Amino acid sequence: MKNNKTKIIIIALAVFCILCAALFLLLKNMPVGSIAVITVNGEEFDRIDLQTVNEPYDIEIKTEFGVNVVHVEPGAISVTSASCPDKVCVKQGKMTGGGVPIVCMPNRLVINIEGSGIDG
Amino acid sequence: MGKTKKITFMAMLTALALGIFILEAQIPPIVPIPGIKLGLANIITLAAMILLGRKEAGAILVCRVIMGSMFAGSAASFIYSASGALLSYIAMCILLGIIPEGQLWLTSAISAIFHNVGQLIACTFIVKTPQIWVYFPILAISGVITGIFTGITAKYLVRALRKNK
Repeated sequence: MKNNKTKIIIIALAVFCILCAALFLLLKNMPVGSIAVITVNGEEFDRIDLQTVNEPYDIEIKTEFGVNVVHVEPGAISVTSASCPDKVCVKQGKMTGGGVPIVCMPNRLVINIEGSGIDG
Repeated sequence: MGKTKKITFMAMLTALALGIFILEAQIPPIVPIPGIKLGLANIITLAAMILLGRKEAGAILVCRVIMGSMFAGSAASFIYSASGALLSYIAMCILLGIIPEGQLWLTSAISAIFHNVGQLIACTFIVKTPQIWVYFPILAISGVITGIFTGITAKYLVRALRKNK
């Protein structure tokens, strides 16, 4: 038997899920920019304008939390190797400018793309 | 339920939860999104809450989170799972009095969302990058989906355990 409170909660949950789905699609397709900002443990490690990259190259990020290899190429950035067990950041693949950052939680690494110019 | 029987039952549930947790940690991530997991160990927390009560479920949860991180995680994963577990536990405690037992899937789904909120709060403090909240919508949706299934499983587990008492 469903009581009224349960019904309200189910409807609220459904609305919440729909909003989340809409929000996710919006964020995913949001064009942001071309400046890749690499952050380790809250501190900015590097800032690369992906539009000015001509030759692909790798950066090794070695910190007390672990090792990640970041592959930079014209217009895209990706993590190609990680010392963490789950390798979620590697599987996230190339990031070209969407609003969803690459995250390697165990190694405290975040790669986010920001708009050009002053901090956006 | 006698005191000895209750302690034994709680120990058994803790062992089960720990086993499920460690087994789940061995499954490679299916989707390339950080933070998504099945949360199967929550089946035990839910069942314990229905069968034993809030306090007992909390004790089982604390044991599972601490030992789970010791056996199958790291210091960092302990912080994430502890903060997620704390928030989802609070949500479960509140919902237990509102949502009837037959709708356990609903309790489970909502507590899964709170688990994600807890995890993201911990992440925000650790990596100090608030941009990770971009993941919240997708994590919440996956939490609802997996939460519904763990809730249904917990309901059948409760039924089976009651029958064999």
